[in-house]
Amino acid sequence: MKAKDLLEPASVSTMRSGSREGRVIEATDVLERPATRRGFLRGVGGLTFAVGAGGMLRAAAQTSGNEELAPNLWVTIGADDEITIQFAGTELGQGTMTALPLVLAEELDADWDRVRVEQVATHDPDYGNPRAFRYLGEGILYTAGSQTLRGYYEAMRQAGAQARRVLLDAAASEWGVAVSELVTEPSTVVHTASGRRMSYGEIASFAEAPEHIEPVDESEFKDRSDYRYVGTDVLRVDVEAKSDGSAEFGIDVQVPGMVYASVLRAPVEGERPVSVDGAAALAIPGVFEIVSIPSGVAVVAETVEASIAGKDALEVSWSNESRFRDVDSDAVLAEYEAHARDTGFSTDSPLWQDVGDADAALAGAERVIEATYVTDAAYHAQMEPMNATASVSADGKSAEIWVSTQSQSMAVMGAAEALDTTTDKITLHLPYVGGAFGRRTEYRQKDIDDALFVSRQIGRPVKVIWSREDDVRDGTFRPLAAQFLRGGLDADGRIVAVHQRVAAPSVLEYMNPPRWAMSRGRDGIAMNGAQETRYAIPNLRAEHVRMERCSRVLAWRGVASSYTRFANESFIDELAHSSGADPLEFRLDLARNDPRGRAVLEEAGRLADWPRQRDGTALGVALSDYGGASVAAGIAEVSVDAGTGDIAVQRFWMVVDAGLIVAPRNTEAQLEGNVIYGLSNALRERITIRNGVVEQSNFHDYPVMRMNEVPEIVVKALASDAPPSGVGELGLATTGAAVANAVFRATGARVRALPFTRERVLAALQVV
Amino acid sequence: MASFNINGQPVTVEADGDTRLLWVLREHLKLTGTKYGCGIGQCGACTVHIDGNSTFSCLTPLTAVEGREVTTIEGLVGEDGHPLQRAWVAEEVPQCGYCQSGQIMRAADLLARNPDPSREDIVTHMSTNLCRCGTYPRIVRAIERAAGEGGR
Repeated sequence: MKAKDLLEPASVSTMRSGSREGRVIEATDVLERPATRRGFLRGVGGLTFAVGAGGMLRAAAQTSGNEELAPNLWVTIGADDEITIQFAGTELGQGTMTALPLVLAEELDADWDRVRVEQVATHDPDYGNPRAFRYLGEGILYTAGSQTLRGYYEAMRQAGAQARRVLLDAAASEWGVAVSELVTEPSTVVHTASGRRMSYGEIASFAEAPEHIEPVDESEFKDRSDYRYVGTDVLRVDVEAKSDGSAEFGIDVQVPGMVYASVLRAPVEGERPVSVDGAAALAIPGVFEIVSIPSGVAVVAETVEASIAGKDALEVSWSNESRFRDVDSDAVLAEYEAHARDTGFSTDSPLWQDVGDADAALAGAERVIEATYVTDAAYHAQMEPMNATASVSADGKSAEIWVSTQSQSMAVMGAAEALDTTTDKITLHLPYVGGAFGRRTEYRQKDIDDALFVSRQIGRPVKVIWSREDDVRDGTFRPLAAQFLRGGLDADGRIVAVHQRVAAPSVLEYMNPPRWAMSRGRDGIAMNGAQETRYAIPNLRAEHVRMERCSRVLAWRGVASSYTRFANESFIDELAHSSGADPLEFRLDLARNDPRGRAVLEEAGRLADWPRQRDGTALGVALSDYGGASVAAGIAEVSVDAGTGDIAVQRFWMVVDAGLIVAPRNTEAQLEGNVIYGLSNALRERITIRNGVVEQSNFHDYPVMRMNEVPEIVVKALASDAPPSGVGELGLATTGAAVANAVFRATGARVRALPFTRERVLAALQVV
Repeated sequence: MASFNINGQPVTVEADGDTRLLWVLREHLKLTGTKYGCGIGQCGACTVHIDGNSTFSCLTPLTAVEGREVTTIEGLVGEDGHPLQRAWVAEEVPQCGYCQSGQIMRAADLLARNPDPSREDIVTHMSTNLCRCGTYPRIVRAIERAAGEGGR
């Protein structure tokens, strides 16, 4: 869910609209504007679709009454009182498969117990996420960047309110009373004066969807205090199936006549097979074909075990010509660092944030502090390895695919591109997704390509399962980054300017070339979080020093904020220290114009009992905006073993303002997940590359946090009047800086390289 | 080839003896609740019971289960449900859900041996199983709930 659909720059320009000259970031630089409300509602009220999809006319002809009523794209009301709501996101574990329909059901005043959620598994632009980037002017279905609830919220409310209006109108007409005399109870219209009642299903049996439905005015929506479901702990719709083994994930798909393929992938990106000796593989019972495809050499077999054994038996010699052969990630990081620190060096990227005049303010500052922060590449480590099943037609121009993905649209568009055909020839089946975190946001998902190319070649349906080793070594990583920060303080110890230079590759360029082509060089996937929107700092400049990538790269949970916020919130701490201020008090002062930022800081400080001196442990704090809509404060309590360099995180407090909390229990679970994912990464997750080969391969050498390493976690979402804004990534970005800042307060050692390995901690302790 | 009991039913599987039980369960017997995560016994997504003991099916060759009783999530839950499965729902444990069959199988093994585990017992026992979504705090609560209800 990590790729960032959000128009990050919009928030920047909004926050800085009153700023002086300087190039204020333009909201529409990167991406086109979201669909206008009106434009989107035209989709919602698409009656051609509604009537057709509801099957209402046919049903009416066959029976005495209608079977169902489909007043808009999103909802169908059956005569049996079953209500079906379409879900256009993908369920990755974040819970939007429940939250979006719940918002619609609330406004419809539906009986949630009779609601069935249906997955939209097509690339139909009418279902496109209003906050996602648009492709060739059309909406896309894309679940990333914590933008699903935020993006669809208004559409869901509107669709629910419109459907309720249709039901009320039909009941009023039937009873010959004014609509104003009617109220609703769950799935029931009531005429209070006469006591007459009709269920939504009864109404659906005679009502017809009108030709045109006017948008329902915001003032007629339910008051939050009248909510029956939103804000309560309604059970997620996917939880029962995920608690008894019956939930079907992409990897679980079985289709008739299916065979299996395992792909031996090039050891270094860009290499290709020069010679293939498949004799030993073909000698294995069940192996029947060896197919060269763009990603490597596929062994196709009747059973999965034969395909795996065949892959192991394959003898392939690879070309030796890729530029990636020379990649050594430590050397690359050193090069990035040199470029970050060389303020005379720039690439052609437009400034990410430019407020006031940072150069002049730094020149006039009482004191200037400088620091460099580096972060290693990180792997998603989603639990379900990449896999896909495909069945390509005999002419090679149409296909059915079954795949775990974050984007119905890109899966379909990518498959059509792979087969050089049109999107209408691709039928997508969308099972549950066994973790994503950005791993499944690629424009051309490589597992889909694998399955398509093998199936086309052999003329049978095929399931391709990547081994965990393939998933790591052909990983699409959060990129390496080196960041140089300069900050100026005035005589009173207040910050007058911050200049942040982020040396990192473009992620979009690799991840989504069409989107990159539309972005005019602004890469929100590489840069989000590098802007300051919550602090009163008069002069700000953030630059993307665009480096050559040294690995495959993709959005990663929190997008770029896990490294950008690590740097800028560590740096705020360094500035606080330099001015002799308490880190929390310093931030509260900086956030003096941002009530929501102040509130989360204050509450986190209160929960953690910030002023209390600890014995052997210390606290560190960090603040992180997410997408200009929500904000989180994190506080870590750590102890440091000065002998071994081990950091033990004892407790972590996270307080957020994410607008309206639709699902409180799920929100807490998401925030706990943020803390665990973020700490796991900050403490030791590290991808390294030597001679172009990824050195890690599985969970033994890419260890992710286990239960016995989880600290005590306290999370809290503050009550908020704002619309909901997503919690799947919010706060993750506070973890790295909060821990680093706590280590500093515990030891006086400043760790500026993430993850905080023992070697790095020991090296930092030496400097003290 | 091997003959064994799967969820109480006798079965004979025609496959190379070296085939991992994981693939036999998932692809031959279509019991896909058991998941592939790492293939090297590092993540626990493939956890099943062999004669009641939780085992990584990704490391278990088919020949090793000859004549034995293999239980998967489908068998553990069965038609009547299982206290752990109900506790998992009550605590809304799963996020992406991919690892949860393995977590439940691992937890069932714990409660069978230790009906009243301490929090430390739970954490120690469950640390074989990875959850990337970070549902660990909920897993602990669900196991405590199931134990509290005498669930085995």
